[in-house]
Amino acid sequence: MSLIIKHCRSNGITSSFNLRIWRLNSTSMDVAAKKGEEEEEFRVLDILKKRDKVQKKVARRNDVQPDRADRMAVDQNWGNVWPGPKTFHPSSVPLPIRQGYVPKGQAPPGKKANAELMKIPNFLHLTPPVVKAQCEAIKQYCTEWPKLLNSEEAIEKHYPVEVITSDYCHASPSIRNPLARIVTLRVKLATLNLDKHARDKFLRLVGDRYDEKTDLVTITADRCPARKQNLDYVDYLLTACYHESLNVEEWEKDKTEDDMEYYDWDKNASKKSLVQWYLRMKNENVDLKDEQFIEYDISQIPNAESYKNAVSSLMNDGENESTVNNYAKEVRALLGLPEKLVV
Amino acid sequence: MNFNSRFLNKKLCNYHFRNCIRWFVVQNRLYAKATSFPDFFQNPIFRKEDQAKLIENSELAKLAAVPVRPPASYETCSVYHDPLVNKVINHVMEMGKKQLARSLVEKAFENIKRIQIERYHLAQTQEEKNKIELNPKSILYNAVENCKPLLQLSPIKRGGITYQVPGPITEKRSLFLSIKWLLEATNDKERTVHFPEQFAWELLDAANNTGKVVKRKQDLHRQCEANRAYAHYRWQ
Amino acid sequence: MFSRNWRVLSRAYSQAVTFRTSEISPQHQNDKQIGLFYTLKQDTCKELFSNGGLPKSFMKQTKTFTETTLMIRQPALDLINCIKSTDFNKPVIRYVLYGEKGCGKSLTMAHMIHYAYEDGYLIVHVPWVSEWLRRVPRHKEMSNSQTREGLVDLPLDAAAWLIHFKSQNQTLLKSSDLKISKEYVWSKREKTESGAPLSELVEHGIARIKYACDVIDALISEIKILSNNKQCKTFVAIDGFNSFFYPLTRLNTPTKKKVKPDEVTLTKSFLELTKNDWNNGIILLSADQLAVPDENQDSYFPRYLLRKQGFEYLDPFVPIEVGRYSDKEFLSCASYYRDRLWLRGPPEIETELKFTSACNPFKFMEQCAPL
Repeated sequence: MSLIIKHCRSNGITSSFNLRIWRLNSTSMDVAAKKGEEEEEFRVLDILKKRDKVQKKVARRNDVQPDRADRMAVDQNWGNVWPGPKTFHPSSVPLPIRQGYVPKGQAPPGKKANAELMKIPNFLHLTPPVVKAQCEAIKQYCTEWPKLLNSEEAIEKHYPVEVITSDYCHASPSIRNPLARIVTLRVKLATLNLDKHARDKFLRLVGDRYDEKTDLVTITADRCPARKQNLDYVDYLLTACYHESLNVEEWEKDKTEDDMEYYDWDKNASKKSLVQWYLRMKNENVDLKDEQFIEYDISQIPNAESYKNAVSSLMNDGENESTVNNYAKEVRALLGLPEKLVV
Repeated sequence: MNFNSRFLNKKLCNYHFRNCIRWFVVQNRLYAKATSFPDFFQNPIFRKEDQAKLIENSELAKLAAVPVRPPASYETCSVYHDPLVNKVINHVMEMGKKQLARSLVEKAFENIKRIQIERYHLAQTQEEKNKIELNPKSILYNAVENCKPLLQLSPIKRGGITYQVPGPITEKRSLFLSIKWLLEATNDKERTVHFPEQFAWELLDAANNTGKVVKRKQDLHRQCEANRAYAHYRWQ
Repeated sequence: MFSRNWRVLSRAYSQAVTFRTSEISPQHQNDKQIGLFYTLKQDTCKELFSNGGLPKSFMKQTKTFTETTLMIRQPALDLINCIKSTDFNKPVIRYVLYGEKGCGKSLTMAHMIHYAYEDGYLIVHVPWVSEWLRRVPRHKEMSNSQTREGLVDLPLDAAAWLIHFKSQNQTLLKSSDLKISKEYVWSKREKTESGAPLSELVEHGIARIKYACDVIDALISEIKILSNNKQCKTFVAIDGFNSFFYPLTRLNTPTKKKVKPDEVTLTKSFLELTKNDWNNGIILLSADQLAVPDENQDSYFPRYLLRKQGFEYLDPFVPIEVGRYSDKEFLSCASYYRDRLWLRGPPEIETELKFTSACNPFKFMEQCAPL
């Protein structure tokens, strides 16, 4: 439409018309344009001059390239991108990571210019494929695992001492974990092959470091600043305790019955009173010495053996309903009384 | 419940007032301080009788969706739960020592029981025996009922002079006064006499319509009677 | 309407439950009467327990109930059964009652004393050892022993015990010919001839309180000799026996020195009696948590309460547990209380009481009190 109009007009006024035609593109607009033409005859005084906003030109550099992270290939070798420990860099990591504390309802800041992400140590160089590759590389320097150590039991048998340390890294500006220097040594008491006296002494020396249920002695050292020192100290403690427990000191002969760790019926007053009772029952007035009491053969006393067991279990296993009832039963048998009346 | 309109010396039959008291010793808890539960939380219904009533009226379904406060430790469905006894225990209690208060009241009950059983065994004929009330709880109910005042004096200032004006008393306040007077009478004792003994005696006296507390109530009534000329000050 | 009928029915049932037995002699009680109450005669009761022996709360109950009744329970029957089959020529057998607080150790002992009384035993009964060693009233008489160096006498307690002994054994002391075997010289002018009756010794102790402890010592050795000679059979009952083995008593000497139990002459005498070096007798002891301070009441078992020393002293002994009520006993006790007007109310109350008291006899009695 506009083209036709352009043709009709004479050359002389084309220049002034050209602009308008260039702007218009529909017939209705044409009509409006005509109207405008008529109104243009009077210029309106613009008192409050409204200036057209002139858009400022933004200086745009053409040489800025898109982020490197966006251009990375999906199947690239990550180990080459991030070969070693390094502070976090947003353009090198093609992950949409966000980190930081924000008020409720907002998303945490993204990875760019994020100090939070740069502060913490990262382990981007230790991805499983990289670790695997490195292991493969150092494999040639390793020796073979001993064939006979093929099970837990075998390991426990040949290497009874177990040393526990922790190798965690710390998620703070310093990667050093303060727990790393602590060394715990565990050993099964049975593997030390101690005799009765030595075992008793060893237990008294280690005190509550011995766990009866698992038969484990646990020695922990954390007093030295380095792990090596603590390790040496733990070794020293075990060795010292072991050898000290094998020693028999002079004063150990003074151990009395109260110091006994378990109730030995033969050496106790219970046997004495039983024998006395038996002798009285037979109307024998014999004065026995302590050693004679201990050596007295109780097999001639009827029911004495089970009575002995009942007293020992009462003393050793602690007092509860079953041990007391058992004791009552055995005493009744011993004294020739009828069984407990059951109602 | 027209206690107020009836006049002074009247007798009530036993079960009637008991129902009244049961009704008036409120099981709802009103809290002085804000609790952690909002106002729309309902008080729990912990008595089996009340629950049965709800089931009968088929109102239980209404409560099903309503949030309910947990019952307090003293609100039990135990057979010997009694609202009035609970009230009395709370009145006896000082410094929140409820266990002590409870043990004191229970000891008083024990004393009442021992005294009454002794009387029972001393009584010669069956008739006399039947007259003796052995249940300490019903003795407590009788005692409290006998001590309840029917009128009260309230000070009203007219023309610069304060008049003691007689007027009706609410059921709740009369119950309060009754328990308060009983305890005041009990605490007014020799140092060598223990609380449970004295309380037992007071209760027995009051249940018998004799004793200090009943006299106090009658004194109040007499005062009200004397001051009835002032009664119009209540509304003028 | 239905519930009321049901209530009437159940009340009728609970009244129909038998809770009394007419078998008042403990010799003839058997396990068919377990859980039933039997009545002690008033004068027997006065003779045996007028100077102690029944717990205070039980005495209060007997006054309210106007009668003294004991429940026949398994431990007592068990003991009677044992005693009946005992060979009295062998050394004495020691029985130790144990059980939780309030389960009826003392009442079982009272039952056994009644048994011994009916059976013609000489009764040596200590109602509560802690009365001597742990209870310190304002005027506790204490003096250093004249005869034994470093020991302490409790003359008033000893005299009180002698009165108790005398009243428990008055028939035996009056009638029988229990003679003293040797002469006892108390002072220059006072002595008891050999061949004098045992009651003279007792009377002397009561009259001359100063010598009461020595009299008890003499009395106990005489009783041992008499029993050995088969002149009498002896029933020893000591309640709260474990007090003797607690390291300290509450007594202080005038010089503010703490007294140990074995520094008291009475302890010596009664420990001498509980040895098994004599025969023709029975020793019934009780190990009670209440006889020792609160901090040593962790367990009710005899070995704990008697401590090592006491256990070794008594070993071998027969421990006899006094337990809580069984269902039957509880029901019988509840109906007894109902009969004695001590318990009233609907029958559901019993279920609740059974639960709250955990069938503990004392707690049950206590909880019934305000109802």
